[in-house]
Amino acid sequence: MNFSLTDDQASVMSGLDQLLGQTGENGLQHAVTHVYSAGLDAALAEAGFLDIAREDGFGPLDAALVVERVAREMQVVEVGVSALIAPLLPVDVGIRPIALLSGDAGGAARFLPMAKLLVVDRGDHALLLPVDPDTVVPVETLLAYPFGRLSEVDLDSGTRFDDIAGVRRRWRIALAAEAAGCMAAALAAIIDHVTSRFAFGRPLGSFQAIHHRLAMAAETAESTRWLALRAAWSDDDGDAALAAGFAQSRIAGFTYDLHQFAGAMGLTLEFPLHLWTYRLRALASDLGGASLQARALADAVWGEAA
Amino acid sequence: MFRNSARAWLAANVPGGAAPFDGAEGRAFALAWQKKQAEGGWAGLAWPRDVGGRGLSVLEQIVWFEEYARAGAPSSLSAMFVALNHAGPTLFACGTPEQKAFHLPRILNGEAIWCQGFSEPGAGSDLAAIRTRGRVDGDDLVIDGHKIWSSFADMADYQELLVRSDPDARTGAALTWVICPMDAPGITIRPIRTIAGPNKFCEVFYDDVRIPLTNVVGGLNNGWATAMSTLAFERGTASLGLMIALTLQVDAMLDDCPSSRALMLGRLALLSAEGAAIQAMAYRVALDAEQSVPDASASLVRLAFAEFGKKVQAAAIDLYGVQSPKVLGTHGLGHDYLDAFSETIAGGTAEIQRNIIGERVLGLPKGPR
Repeated sequence: MNFSLTDDQASVMSGLDQLLGQTGENGLQHAVTHVYSAGLDAALAEAGFLDIAREDGFGPLDAALVVERVAREMQVVEVGVSALIAPLLPVDVGIRPIALLSGDAGGAARFLPMAKLLVVDRGDHALLLPVDPDTVVPVETLLAYPFGRLSEVDLDSGTRFDDIAGVRRRWRIALAAEAAGCMAAALAAIIDHVTSRFAFGRPLGSFQAIHHRLAMAAETAESTRWLALRAAWSDDDGDAALAAGFAQSRIAGFTYDLHQFAGAMGLTLEFPLHLWTYRLRALASDLGGASLQARALADAVWGEAA
Repeated sequence: MFRNSARAWLAANVPGGAAPFDGAEGRAFALAWQKKQAEGGWAGLAWPRDVGGRGLSVLEQIVWFEEYARAGAPSSLSAMFVALNHAGPTLFACGTPEQKAFHLPRILNGEAIWCQGFSEPGAGSDLAAIRTRGRVDGDDLVIDGHKIWSSFADMADYQELLVRSDPDARTGAALTWVICPMDAPGITIRPIRTIAGPNKFCEVFYDDVRIPLTNVVGGLNNGWATAMSTLAFERGTASLGLMIALTLQVDAMLDDCPSSRALMLGRLALLSAEGAAIQAMAYRVALDAEQSVPDASASLVRLAFAEFGKKVQAAAIDLYGVQSPKVLGTHGLGHDYLDAFSETIAGGTAEIQRNIIGERVLGLPKGPR
């Protein structure tokens, strides 16, 4: 078992770090519910990071590494679907951003306001719907992503795609990888805070009540990351359900603890924590939430009878 | 009989639609609802009769809160909360006859909003560390400093303000509790947007703000004791309405949960059991406290209620899904979920509550501070 990056992977991640450093967060306004960055989106696409899974010698694991790393940024961009699901779909490279929905094609979807394609999980198949921007109505929400819904749904304009299991598997991997990145960044922000802020004459982080729970938060973030990467490496239905379900089951406790230790500051938009925890909250409910991932895991491991 | 009249009045008078959070609209809504309750004889139920309240028993208050929650009446965590549950009780415990005569009717009748000015950037849980100065100059207290997390300060008429009036004394003899008119020259208010959407929090700056010494409550340099006097009034009933509303929310979620979602049904059933247990504990603590001085066991209720609220709102989003119209939107369950984050922070963090339970309820040795 080897947990180190290969030379090629290390080189890709170094290039990604450099790009993210250049797009930077200078002057970023935190006091908003989310920051969608069209500039970062374009830069990632142009540099080829979103198509890495299609390159020779690379695959879903490398795509998941990219998703996890980009999710640490304060800005939000559509990476998971483009990097992990798009390579499965019969659509041209560059048809993105891509929005995802399960069930009703008229429901609210992340990234729909800027999406070129909407993928709808219809139970036994997926439907690929080209998005006409004139039919997208933005949806007001606090939950971190640009949400929108279609004002008119023309199901006949869509293309049927039968590998719904593949879409869901990659969706779960993308979800877990994005959650891992958000958790890592949120944890780093709060460690900074409790190290530099004092109460009763001591740094907050020196109180055992805080110390211990942050240690558990670190365990959650690390576990989520490794489960996501294992699922991406194996590209297995069970591993994917396990990684997504684990992340989703931990998100509520993880985010509550981090906000708790930021005190009243963490209740405001002026402290950046919400830029990751809002996203985590939205991810926690994807694909029916942890309970449905547990069901999918049981199905994958023990069959439908489970 | 009491329950029937409460139910009938609420059915006829509870305002429809979502309560506005912010600004002039939020202020007008909070004052109008308080005024309506006063006109109907349903204001100040827990306040003593000699200050204009109804002096109801705890049992009657419980009945009122049950009916209030069932009727879907506006949350008691409104812009009137500080006036009704902190400032008012402090005034009738420690205020002068003039202060009581002027302020208490204005609170009960929905004519004045109060905010709290206790926390500072360097003094939250550690209230003894407050630095905002109050210097006696002639007949005035002159205030310089900075308060934060003052909910609804941007729409308040008055603030219960705690300042350091003797920089050399120990905390117990260094602070003064004073009524600060929010339109006094030298006050600057900066609203802060919260993660749940509205500008509920504010930062308040004081630059040579002159307040007459006649606004001091409980005596100069006696502010710590004045602030603590509110606790003698608190019977744990302030959050009963919210607690009952949460248990009703769980009931509704159980109704909405499809039978195919067995794990979610189990989660909701456990939440229902937890809610019933906390409600029973809250009733017991409130009824016990009526017969004696309230003790620290109210912290058990406060802690359990705060954690329960968070669990209920997290389950609500998982039940309906983040794409649901019930969740999205600025008044949706997404807001309620994020708003619940404050439950274990505001008014004493869950960590402080745990310390109180450990030390004062269980009698454990004190840990290092």
